[in-house]
Amino acid sequence: MMTAVMIVIIVLSNAAGDVFITKGMKEIGEVSTLNPRELLRIGLRVITNKSFILGILSLAVSFFSFLAVLSWADMSFIVPATSIFYVVSILGAKFILKEEVSRLRWAGTLLVCLGVALICLP
Amino acid sequence: MKTAIVLIIAVIAQAAGNTCLSKGMKALASTGEGADSLSLSLLVHAMGSPMIWLGTLLLIVFFVFFAVALSWADLSFVLPATSFGYILNVALAHKVLGEPVSSIRWAGTVLIFLGVILVSRSGSAGIEQAHHPAVESTETKA
Repeated sequence: MMTAVMIVIIVLSNAAGDVFITKGMKEIGEVSTLNPRELLRIGLRVITNKSFILGILSLAVSFFSFLAVLSWADMSFIVPATSIFYVVSILGAKFILKEEVSRLRWAGTLLVCLGVALICLP
Repeated sequence: MKTAIVLIIAVIAQAAGNTCLSKGMKALASTGEGADSLSLSLLVHAMGSPMIWLGTLLLIVFFVFFAVALSWADLSFVLPATSFGYILNVALAHKVLGEPVSSIRWAGTVLIFLGVILVSRSGSAGIEQAHHPAVESTETKA
């Protein structure tokens, strides 16, 4: 039961983290310069962006929950079980970030999700 | 094209980073210094390993490039695309770390590869598709 709760936390915080990071980076705008001073300026704006910070915190929650659950459960079970996060993230991209997700992209994502589940089986 | 270059760098950095971390942590475990559980002493020993620093640095590189790609490309594109890293990870684990790779793992690798090809054919951004109605209409048919 505890493991199931942890899996839900890992999946949701990972997906939320990616969605917030994307939101933050979209607020910053396209990074299309190689000028070091310009990059430094963009970097400063990124690390002070609220969505980005929230994203980092979410990913940290996900990462430490993952480490914690590994202390009692097998990685070969946890990684396939959390691979559903690909699908949850795409749902977040579609409904929160309003991205257009074509059927081709959905099919590809489902294959990736299945593939990740398979490679983590022993 | 820009998206492809940024994501390829991200994926290579991630796979190399994970391999370094794995090598570093396994080396710690073989010296038997508090390696059986996640403990403070393990963390302290990990901080002293150059391999682990290198791995961490590479993962930071991955994250920076991942975030940069997200500044213009869709999350629903970047996320499945970076899962190509899993394939590199399996290959590196096999070659560098000498881990055995079962046929079921290779099957998973093939599925990920197919998935990444499908996603990359969908174009990197929804906005791009909107600019090219022809591309969008072929997709909805597919």
